[in-house]
Amino acid sequence: MTSFLSSIFDFVDQNKRVVTLAALIGILIIPLIPRNSFYQDLIIMIFFWGTLAAAWNLLGGFAGQISLGHAAFFGIGAYTSTILYLNFGLSPWIGMFAGAGVSIVVALIVGLPCFRLTSHFFALATIAFAEVLRLLASFWRDLTNGGVGLLIPHEPGFKNFIFEGKLAYTYIILIMLLAIIFVTYLLKKSRFGYYMVALREDQDAAESLGVNITLYKMITLIISVFFTSIAGTFYAQYYAFIDPDIVFASHLSIQLALLSIIGGVGTIFGPILGACFLTPLDVFLRGWLGGVLSGLNFVVYGLVLIIAVRYFPIGIFGWLKKITGKYIKKPTYALSTAGGGETGPIGERSYRPPDEDTVPLIRVDSIGKRFGGLEAVKDLSFSVYDGEILGLIGPNGAGKTTVFNLISGFIATDTGSIRFDGKDITSLKLPHTFCKEGIGRTFQIVKPFQSMTVLENIMVGVFNRVGDVKEARKEALRIIERIHLSRQVSMEASHLTLANRKRLELGRALATRPKLLLLDEVMAGLNPKETEDIIQVIKSISREGMTILMIEHVMKAVMALSDRITVINNGMKIVEGLPEEVAKDKRVIDAYLGEEYNAELK
Amino acid sequence: MFEIILQLIINGLLLGGIYALLSIGLTMIFGVLEVVNFAHGEFLMISMYMTFWLFHLFGLDPYVSLVIIIPVFFGFGMLVERAIIKPLLNDPPLNQIFTTIGLGLVFQNLALLLFKADFRAIKTSYSNANLFLGELIVNVPRLIAFVIAIALIVALLLFLKKTFTGKAIRALAQQRQASMLMGINVNKTYSIAFGIGIACVGAAGAILMPLFFVFPTVGSMFVLIAFVVVILGGYNSLGGSLVAGLMIGVIEGFSGFFISPHLKEVVYFIMFIFILIFRPTGLFGRR
Repeated sequence: MTSFLSSIFDFVDQNKRVVTLAALIGILIIPLIPRNSFYQDLIIMIFFWGTLAAAWNLLGGFAGQISLGHAAFFGIGAYTSTILYLNFGLSPWIGMFAGAGVSIVVALIVGLPCFRLTSHFFALATIAFAEVLRLLASFWRDLTNGGVGLLIPHEPGFKNFIFEGKLAYTYIILIMLLAIIFVTYLLKKSRFGYYMVALREDQDAAESLGVNITLYKMITLIISVFFTSIAGTFYAQYYAFIDPDIVFASHLSIQLALLSIIGGVGTIFGPILGACFLTPLDVFLRGWLGGVLSGLNFVVYGLVLIIAVRYFPIGIFGWLKKITGKYIKKPTYALSTAGGGETGPIGERSYRPPDEDTVPLIRVDSIGKRFGGLEAVKDLSFSVYDGEILGLIGPNGAGKTTVFNLISGFIATDTGSIRFDGKDITSLKLPHTFCKEGIGRTFQIVKPFQSMTVLENIMVGVFNRVGDVKEARKEALRIIERIHLSRQVSMEASHLTLANRKRLELGRALATRPKLLLLDEVMAGLNPKETEDIIQVIKSISREGMTILMIEHVMKAVMALSDRITVINNGMKIVEGLPEEVAKDKRVIDAYLGEEYNAELK
Repeated sequence: MFEIILQLIINGLLLGGIYALLSIGLTMIFGVLEVVNFAHGEFLMISMYMTFWLFHLFGLDPYVSLVIIIPVFFGFGMLVERAIIKPLLNDPPLNQIFTTIGLGLVFQNLALLLFKADFRAIKTSYSNANLFLGELIVNVPRLIAFVIAIALIVALLLFLKKTFTGKAIRALAQQRQASMLMGINVNKTYSIAFGIGIACVGAAGAILMPLFFVFPTVGSMFVLIAFVVVILGGYNSLGGSLVAGLMIGVIEGFSGFFISPHLKEVVYFIMFIFILIFRPTGLFGRR
C-alpha cells in the first residue's frame, strides 16, 4: 500500500505538467455532470465561495492582514455593475471591471491609514468600514433604491451577463476561481510570496531586510479586492437581486475567513477545500434546520470557528499534507562539506587603522534622540571605516540599541546627520530604504520568521539583491553553510535553539549583501562554545572585507574582534580607541567594566 | 439656536456616559490581555435581554437589576476567560480574533433562535419623565443612566488605584513579565480583568434598556461606537475612554441633528479614519 501510494506521488512529481493538464480537464468537465438544478447550484456556490475565500486568503492568510470587511468590496462590485447596467445600459462585463476599479480606489484610500494598525485594530477598522458602506447603501436611496434593493430584469443575452440555465454561470465562476488560484500560485512561487509571509510573521524584520511592507500590503490588497469585487458582480447577475443587507453583510466577511481557516489558511488550495466542505454543509443547515430554527446555521458556524482555530489550525489542507507527507519525497539540498566550511578567502585580514585622510563608510555626526523627558542619545559622533570592525559598548541603557535604530531607519533622528557611502541618509524615512542603501542589521531580541524554514528565512534576505527564486535559493544555501546551519536547513525557525536563531539572524542580515553590517548582541545568552563558533563566523565575514559595527556585552568577543571600540554611556561617547587602550581607560572601567573585569584581568 | 446646541450637548453627554462605560470594558480587556473582544457587543445584547426578562417576568426595575447583573456578568466573564480566552493568549492574532468573533456569532444567533428577531422594549413609570430647566429638557432615564455610569466608572478607577488587585491589574497592563516576577498571580488577574470588563458592559446593557430596544443584533450597533471610543481614547487608557465616550455622545447628538440620525455611524467612521491618519495613538494615548 505504502509503496503504491509513494509511486503515485512520484509519478505526479515527475509528470507535473501532464498531471496538471489532466486535473484541469477534469475540473472543466465537472460543470457538465449534474443532472438537476439543485446540484448545478451547489457547484456554482462551491466555486463562488471558493473564489471569494481564496481572495480573502491572499490578504488575510498569506499576508496576515485580517480583513473582516471584505463584504464592502463585494458590495461595491455588485452595486457598481448593477447600477451602471440598470441606469445606463452598460454591459455588466464592463461594469464588473468598473466595480473592481471603484473597489480598488476605495481600498487604497481606506487601506493606507488602516495598514498602520496592529492586527486586532486592523480587523476592527475593516468591520466598521463594511458596516458604514451597508448604511450608506441603505441611506442613499436615489442611487441604490435603499433597503428595497435592486432587481435585474431577466433579459438573457451574452452582453447582459444573463443566461438561460446555469451552465454558463458555472463556467464563468469556474474561470474566476481558476484565475485566483493561478494568481495565488504565481505569487507564492515568486519573491512576492516570500515577502507576503515575511511581513505576516514579523514586519520589523521584513523591513530590515529591505521589504517595502506598505507596498506589498497594498499590492496584495489590490489583487484580493479585485477578485472580491468581480465576484460581487457575478452574484448580482446570478441572483438578479441585491440589497444592502445581503451584499454588505458582516456575516459574509466572516464566512470568507471561516472557509479559509477550515480549509487551511495561508495555503493555495485551503480556501477551495474549505468551500467544498462547508458549502454543502451550509446548504444542508439552511435548508433542513434553518427553515425550522433560523439562526442555527450561524450558531454552528460560530462553534466550528472557535473549535477550528483552537484544535485544528492547520485546516483540511494541512491535515492532508500531514498524512500524505510520508509518501512524498522532501527536497534535499546538496551540501558541500559535512561540518560546514570556511568558504571565505584564506589568509589574514589586511586591516590598517584609519588616518586623517580616510573617508569613512559611515559618518555619524552629532546625532541626538529624545524620548519624552529621556535624552537617549546626545550629540553622538563616530565613524566606521571600510573593512573595519567597530565595537560599540556601554552599560545597559547607555543607548546602544537606540543608535542602531537610528542608523537603520527604525527611529528618526532629532538632530545631527548620518552620511553613508558618500550619501546623506539622515532624511530617509523607512527602514527598508536603509537596507537598500546597504545597511544590514540584526535585532537584539531575535525576530525570525517563525513559520518559515531556515532556508526561506535566509532567502527573504537574499531577495534584497536577487529577484530570481532559484538563484536566491542557491545563494541562501551558501550563506547557510557559512553560518553553520546546514543541518537545520529545512527546519522551521520556531524549532531552532537560541544559538541557531542568533546564527539565523546574522545570516539573514548578511544575505541582504550589506556594505555595513550592524550586529546587536549576537552572542548574548550563548555558551562559550557557541560564542567561539560565532566569533569564527564573524571573523570569516570580516576577512572578505565586510565592515561591521557590533554591540556586544561578551567582553572576550569584543576584545577578540574589534579593531576599535567606542564606549558610550548615558547616550554620550566617553571613550574611543584601540581595544587595549579602552580596556585600560579609567572612565570606561568606572562606567562599564567595573571591578569585576579588573579582577578578571589580574 | 443656542438652546438647541446646549440641548444637544446635554443629550450627548448623557448618552456618552453609557458609551464610556461600555467602552471602558473593552479598553480594560485590551489593556490587560491584549485581546480585542469582538464579542463585546453580544455581551451587551445578553445583558439587555436579561434586564428585559427580569423586568418582564419579575417586574424588577432595570436599575435594581444591576445588583444581579453586575456580579453575574463578572462571573460570566471570568468563566469565558478561563474556558476560551486564556488558552489563546500566546497564539497568533488570527486565532484570537476569530475565537471572539465565533463567540459573538454563537451568542447573537442563539438569541435569534430563542427570542426571534423581534424588537423588545420595556415600559417603566419614568420612561417618558422629563426635567425642565428653563428651555432645556433633561430626560430622566438618561440622567439616571448617566449618573450610574459615571459612578461605576469612578468606582472602578478608585478600585484600580487603591486596592491590591487593582494595582495588580494595572501592573499587568504595563508589563507582563515583571508582574509575574513581582509575585502577581497572572492567571487570576487576567480572569478578574476580563470579568470586570464584562461586568462593565453588563451594567451598560442594564442602564441602556429603559432607553432602547433590544434585538439579537443590537450589539453590533453599539460595539462600533465602543471601538471608535477605544481608539479615540488611546487604546489602553481608561480615563481616555471616559472622555472619548462623552465626546462621541456629543458628536452623535450633533451629527444626528445637523446631518442625519441614520448617518451617525458614517460620521464615526470618518472620524475613525482621521484619527488613524493624524493621531494614530488616539487623543490620550501614550506613544
